Amino acid sequence: MSMDNRRIPIEERLNSNAWDVSQRPHIRIIDPDKCRKCEAKPCTHLCPARCYTLSSDGTVLFSHEGCLECGTCRIVCPHNAIEWTYPRSGYGVQYRFG
Amino acid sequence: MSQRFDVIVVGAGPAGLTAAQRLASRGFKVLVVERGRRPGSKNVYGGRIYAHVLDKLYPEYVKEAPVERWVRKERLTMLTKDSGVTLEFETKATEHKSFTAYLSNFTEWLDRKAEAAGALVVTETPVDNLITKDGKVIGVKSGSDEVYGDVVIVAEGINRLVLESSGLAPKLQPSLVGLGVKEVIKLGRNEINERFNLDEDEGLAWALAGYPTHYVPGGAFIYTNKDAITLGIVVYLEHGGKLDVPVYDLIEEFRLHPFVSRLLKGGQLLEYSAHLTPIVGLKAMPPRLYGNGYLVVGDAAGFLLHLGVLIRGVDFAMESGRLAAEAIIKAHDQGKYDEEALSIYHQLLNESFILREFNAFKNAHKALNNPRLYSDYVMLANAFMSRYFDVDGTPRRIWDTFMKTKGKLTLVDLTRDALSLVMNL
Repeated sequence: MSMDNRRIPIEERLNSNAWDVSQRPHIRIIDPDKCRKCEAKPCTHLCPARCYTLSSDGTVLFSHEGCLECGTCRIVCPHNAIEWTYPRSGYGVQYRFG
Repeated sequence: MSQRFDVIVVGAGPAGLTAAQRLASRGFKVLVVERGRRPGSKNVYGGRIYAHVLDKLYPEYVKEAPVERWVRKERLTMLTKDSGVTLEFETKATEHKSFTAYLSNFTEWLDRKAEAAGALVVTETPVDNLITKDGKVIGVKSGSDEVYGDVVIVAEGINRLVLESSGLAPKLQPSLVGLGVKEVIKLGRNEINERFNLDEDEGLAWALAGYPTHYVPGGAFIYTNKDAITLGIVVYLEHGGKLDVPVYDLIEEFRLHPFVSRLLKGGQLLEYSAHLTPIVGLKAMPPRLYGNGYLVVGDAAGFLLHLGVLIRGVDFAMESGRLAAEAIIKAHDQGKYDEEALSIYHQLLNESFILREFNAFKNAHKALNNPRLYSDYVMLANAFMSRYFDVDGTPRRIWDTFMKTKGKLTLVDLTRDALSLVMNL
């Protein structure tokens, strides 16, 4: 489908990348309770891959699968509630046009 | 990996690979440890490399390096939702000053140089921390693997996980970095030449401010490659909370801006990427750039000069790698790699363009971190032009037009902000 006049959904954008996703997440929410109570939830706005989403009951859900490995979530989290490392063994996004 | 090396480099990016090549070519036994599947597969930048360091390091680059286009057109636009004010510089001079490239390809090229010189590059291995003994760095650890060396060059990039976990840098703060988000869009070579008014190997570097970040401090860029366009936005993370849409939507709104989308018609998305970038110059430096048994280079050292329109990372990274190698060669001659012997690195940095330029621009970020630059002044420039050119039979004197379009900006603001830019950039 042409991209000329439409917003490409984030999932479709991520699908244009080469991936080798590990079964083992490299992101961990240390204390989900902190996220529930967090007012700003900057991760949901500033993660460029939309890895952090808000469920209807106020819980922050995350997926490591579309992670672009920028590290934004780790530093914008006001409660240090995110443990973020690099994927092991070369897994994760495989940039070809970085 | 129980072998010993003279030098261990953490990270196969432009800084680490330059250091590795220099040292290996001088006979040092060098190991480069890289987390990606291949060098370059985790690297992302905007799109342009300033060539002056390559003239010295690899003069053959003009023929060999994976150059996309030579930049001969520079453009700066203050953009609103439906108008823009643009300043453009174009030259027919063909000396090679800067070129667009994919950092993934360029890094692979640097890797071939380092390996050809004899460096061993091990991929798929993220380093967890440095191994220290009696206050001296003696190796690196990845999972249960340990490897030892006389000296370690930390070239791990802006996310300094190794320095942090080793207690050598505080946690990275949002105020030190910008988040860059980029789309690479495939477009025919002829379409690019025609739409951007370029000759065959000529490139455009285009910086934009205002609407692309919804008037929040940061900006946007567009570069032309051979048969693709890279476009992206950078948001100063300190101001990230002010965005009214998520950052993944922000970049799409920029791409769909009428002045941008018409240039990309028929294009196809090749890749969507993101990376952090240092924006504050020297203030992003870890507390120490060298110590007993280690040196820090490239983005990990904060070595990226961000002047709003002019952004230089790769040349600073490569030069710091070269200087780290030189420092190690000198320390080796003294027979030790302690803090004192390695302090020559700081001296070399001081004498090089790296610290000369950072010192010259030490308050650049203070000037650029002014939110008015990305909002009020973009509005003013556009409102002024719009009114000035909207001829309706009433006189359009410059001063009157300005006073009518300056919005809530005061003359004091204007004077102060103009001075701040002129004095600090």
